[in-house]
Amino acid sequence: MRALLALTVFGGSVAQATLAPALGVGGVTPDLPLIVVVLLALRRGAEFGCVAGFGAGLLQDAAGGGLIGVQALTKAVIGFAVGAAGARLSVTQPLVQVPGLVLLTIAEGVVRFALLQIFRFPAAFGDVMLYVVLPQALYNGFLGAALVTALACLQSLRARES
Amino acid sequence: MKIRKFALLVSVVAVCLLLLTLQSRGYGASARDLLALVTTPVQSGVARAHRAAFAVWDTYFDWKNARAENRHLRDENQRLRVEALRVGETEDENRRLRRLLALQARLPLTTLSGEIIGRDWGGGIRSLTVNRGRGDRVPRLTAVISPDGLIGRIVDVRLGASIVQVLTDPASTVSAHLVRTRTPGIVEGDARGTLRFKYMARDAAGIEIGDVLVTSGQGELFPRGIPIGRVQAIDDRGPALFHYAALEPAVDFARIDEVLLVTGETRRDLAAYFATGG
Repeated sequence: MRALLALTVFGGSVAQATLAPALGVGGVTPDLPLIVVVLLALRRGAEFGCVAGFGAGLLQDAAGGGLIGVQALTKAVIGFAVGAAGARLSVTQPLVQVPGLVLLTIAEGVVRFALLQIFRFPAAFGDVMLYVVLPQALYNGFLGAALVTALACLQSLRARES
Repeated sequence: MKIRKFALLVSVVAVCLLLLTLQSRGYGASARDLLALVTTPVQSGVARAHRAAFAVWDTYFDWKNARAENRHLRDENQRLRVEALRVGETEDENRRLRRLLALQARLPLTTLSGEIIGRDWGGGIRSLTVNRGRGDRVPRLTAVISPDGLIGRIVDVRLGASIVQVLTDPASTVSAHLVRTRTPGIVEGDARGTLRFKYMARDAAGIEIGDVLVTSGQGELFPRGIPIGRVQAIDDRGPALFHYAALEPAVDFARIDEVLLVTGETRRDLAAYFATGG
């Protein structure tokens, strides 16, 4: 199970650099590793979320050619936070899933932007937020909700079979 | 437990910040190379799988489109074929009807047009059913003709239809003569569905293959001069009283669809109104 999860994190991160452009809508691509990390953190808790986020982000940084450690850090924090709060969140409703993922993506984007600013990455905050983070946040929200719903359906099917 | 959690988070954050600091000071290349060793082959594999999956998807769509287009074209082709057949059939019918009407207009006789609605080619009897009957005041023994020549005579008149005895019926006899030599004789049908010309042996010398036969008008049943057929073969019976000639009918009885019924007087010579070539 751990191997499968590791593979999911690893595959999700690498796929972000290759598959995500194919899922693009109007130039906006989803952040697949973030969705995977959030889903795993909700199921497996803060520690797992943190490690998964770190691994996924690190691989995403390496595959994407940016500064290594930026997304590792943001995703590790997000994974930890979601895993820690997971028990208190009611995430079975799309009305929670969509805004939840939107907010998480925005938070991740803001933190990432801050880190890049600290490490001398030249970009205007407004542009990054308007053209990158917000559209991606919305996309993540809907894609994540669709994934959560699909997983819930699968689970109920399996439960019915067993 | 909580301390362990936070220790993990702090460690991860520290490692990330360390990595970022090292990179910002120019020490990040080795770490990047090390990670690339792991990620590059996987990226290549994923990209290949991604391309393959899209290629399969594109092929499937192409196939689906081609199949739909093929079905559409096949349906259209079938529809157009039927349409073409219908148009061809209509054109053919128009041509036949125009010929029939032209004949009807130029003949100096009272005629009634009719449509063949049935054929009986079995049991030795050769007859056609025409859609004119008692209601149309069709008398029995009315001559039935077409633009090509004589077809036969009405032998039975019913309420809405009449039965035409075709020349090839074994019971059919028509007095006729050769256009070129005026040799008289009788055209008979036979059981094989062919026509033969029966004539006196003394007239045999003048008959040639290809000679045209027309009705002689004797007996006033058929008007004179309606084409019957051409001599196809001569059956010389030596010293016998009658000789025979096999005829090729002027009319294709199996394909005739529209006819004229000669309902008025029949004492006219119609030779000038038919193309006999004789």
